Amino acid sequence: MSMLTVQRNDMCYCPGCSHGLLLERLGAAMQRVGLPTDRVCIVSDIGCIGTADRYFECHTFHGLHGRSFTYAEGIKRVRPELTVIVLVGDGGCGIGTAHLVHSARRDAGIKVLVCNNFNFGMTGGQQSPTTPELGRTATTPWGTDQRPFDICRTAQAAGAGFVARGSAHAEDATDLIEAALRSPGFALVDLWELCVAYYVVTNKLAPSGLVELSRRLDMPFGILENRPTAAREPLGGAAAASRDGAELRVTTAVPRLAWEGRTEICVAGSAGQHICSAAGVIGEIAVAGGLFAAQQDDFPITVRKGHSVSNLILSNDAILYAGLDHPDVMLLLSEDGLRRLGSLDALAPTCRLFVDDSLAIPPTAAAVHRLDGEAMARGAGRAGAALAALVHALQVAGRIDGAALVDAARAALCGKYRDANLRAIEFGLTLGQEHAAARQASGNAARSTS
Amino acid sequence: MREFITGNEAVVRGALRAKCDFFAGYPITPASSILTGFVRVFHAGGGIAVETEDEIAAIGQCIGAVMSGARALTASSGPGLSLYSETIGLAQMGEVPLVIVNCQRMGPATGGATATGEGDVLFARHVTSGGYPLPVLAATDAGSAYRLTYLAFNLAERLRTPVIVLTSKDIALTRQTVDLDAIELAPLERRLATAPDRPFAPYAINAPADVPAFAPIGGQTRVRFTGSIHDENAVLTIDPARIERKLTHLRRKIDDAADSLEDTEPDLDPLAETLILSYGSADGAARVAVAMLRESGAAVSRLTLYSLWPIPTRAIRAALTSRVRRIVMPELNIGLYCDAVRHITGPLPIMSVLRYDGGLIAPQTIVARVRSCDGDAAACSALSPVEGSSCRC
Repeated sequence: MSMLTVQRNDMCYCPGCSHGLLLERLGAAMQRVGLPTDRVCIVSDIGCIGTADRYFECHTFHGLHGRSFTYAEGIKRVRPELTVIVLVGDGGCGIGTAHLVHSARRDAGIKVLVCNNFNFGMTGGQQSPTTPELGRTATTPWGTDQRPFDICRTAQAAGAGFVARGSAHAEDATDLIEAALRSPGFALVDLWELCVAYYVVTNKLAPSGLVELSRRLDMPFGILENRPTAAREPLGGAAAASRDGAELRVTTAVPRLAWEGRTEICVAGSAGQHICSAAGVIGEIAVAGGLFAAQQDDFPITVRKGHSVSNLILSNDAILYAGLDHPDVMLLLSEDGLRRLGSLDALAPTCRLFVDDSLAIPPTAAAVHRLDGEAMARGAGRAGAALAALVHALQVAGRIDGAALVDAARAALCGKYRDANLRAIEFGLTLGQEHAAARQASGNAARSTS
Repeated sequence: MREFITGNEAVVRGALRAKCDFFAGYPITPASSILTGFVRVFHAGGGIAVETEDEIAAIGQCIGAVMSGARALTASSGPGLSLYSETIGLAQMGEVPLVIVNCQRMGPATGGATATGEGDVLFARHVTSGGYPLPVLAATDAGSAYRLTYLAFNLAERLRTPVIVLTSKDIALTRQTVDLDAIELAPLERRLATAPDRPFAPYAINAPADVPAFAPIGGQTRVRFTGSIHDENAVLTIDPARIERKLTHLRRKIDDAADSLEDTEPDLDPLAETLILSYGSADGAARVAVAMLRESGAAVSRLTLYSLWPIPTRAIRAALTSRVRRIVMPELNIGLYCDAVRHITGPLPIMSVLRYDGGLIAPQTIVARVRSCDGDAAACSALSPVEGSSCRC
């Protein structure tokens, strides 16, 4: 039984238009392949051929101009058992070139039937991308000087497994369509047609002229590409077990961290210093340890150059506003970071500002501490230096209990950077303890001399 | 259990919770990590994630997938929503349940890719030609991004409509502390399925606000789909009565459901003279501002809008308690939604607190605006844009 339910003369097309003939050839080819009606979906594009889906007794989809390839690919991905046929005109191949090329490149498994009549018939016979050189149309009344778009070579260049070109008026057109339907991967047949309302009127084209045109344009008829490709089914599929992403969660019990109030932390440095990672690690540990955290990063489009600033808020209470207006602890780790923050005028005297030794900073009311960046990098590695500096700063500022942080970090951290992060945290704490010991020693010394 | 996740991760999790099994998208800041999130999760099965050649292909593949039975989501930012525009119309006309997440950024055009902005609140409603409504939700943080993405699937399936969920850069990429398991979700909804023993007409309805039953492309029932004006059999029609019936249906199925689409959180004080109306990423600051004002003894109300379209008229009217004399409305745009609610709030002055330089509105700015407007609307002075805020009375 043919899936085509209407004869040529009962279709909406102008008398003599090739579309009806082409659809009959498609119906015959489908019948030869023996496709069941519920295993075929015809996706029609826009233009006169866009009305064709209604003449077929199978699943049909009629969408927007040039986008038929995209719907067909979506259908094929979810229903790989279907034969999905795109009916598209020369105009649709122009506006939808990107989809045509990339569907072919991805070997999307759809069958594309191009109904190519060299002009926009539905809108009044304007030039289309395939209008031959010298072709007269409503928008090129003196003949176009543009080269026509070679749909077949484009599909071939993109890697289509089956590509053929022919005349809709030649008997072998049915064979070409059948071969396309039988090929496993992306297949395209470019069938040349007559638009009796417009193109034929101004260009005196007859069925025999299509063969001559093919020679003149050096666009040969016949099978141009027939490379067996394995039908690539999409990964996954609707039948596979559904997930809710729960496997992304960390479920280890983490000791609770003690905290007071809301602490606003700003780490400013350069791309490549792992600034955002450092803040993120502390945030993860804090949240696993029962605190609330919010982290807002600021970086330019190019992630390997320029500034990298991470704002981290840690709190006992839910954080409703993640903006950072009054930092309690700030780290300045590079010129880029300093430049991004600009003036340090607004820092309060209560702010503890940790500055890399190499940086000259503008005047500020904040309490300034110097960081030995080189020592940090030696002890924690370049990738861990920012995290070590952050831990060091939090400890010097009296914000964290080092032992509790390490315990929580051991339980909370996972992934391939776990060990490196733990080493950086421990190194930062060691420096912090040395700092505290040094302060205590100098304090004792000061007292003993007074 | 509390987690430390971005709004984009929350979107992925909400979609997975809603049994989303198809995602197609094109990389764009700040939405890209939704794409990479789905690619990671679906790699081993359970769904299909596709990176397409552009946004038009992304939403096109989603529509093909949905009409074949999938539950699909696509995500982008303002430039991508612009490219979705025509195809969203196809989803409306073809009655496709589809969730679209727009991680807003500073616009227009390329704007500020890594800077925040929430200038798409009207664009989302009027995103395609024809003027027919579609539901638009707006997240305020990662937790609500999770809940609203899940909810959007329910609304999309219930009403067979595209639904837009708005977030913005500072929701999408900011890591926040969320306990997703503690967020209450309604039961999962699925689109009405056709009865297998009855003849199938893809767009058959009895009453204008009914939603047609669904059969998937590729199933045993042969299905027709079209984006052209059609009758109940999905066949092109020029009959004015059928055209009017179809288009009235597209309007009524959303508008008649408007009350059930309202999603708001009121925090009202019957003595309040000021109502703070907030949505999007300004909501957190509004909540802090309310706490600060109340601590200082002021009576103030807050209404958070999670659904922007249809406008949650009932909740807004209910929040205008008898003593309310003014509305303060923070927005990360040039004051767009304020104009949309004006016909509901009537003659009450709306004091906008606006910021559109890429930064956030601070709670103190809202507090200052409430206090500066105290008593006399005309006394409300404008701050210069350099300070990041301006005020319109």
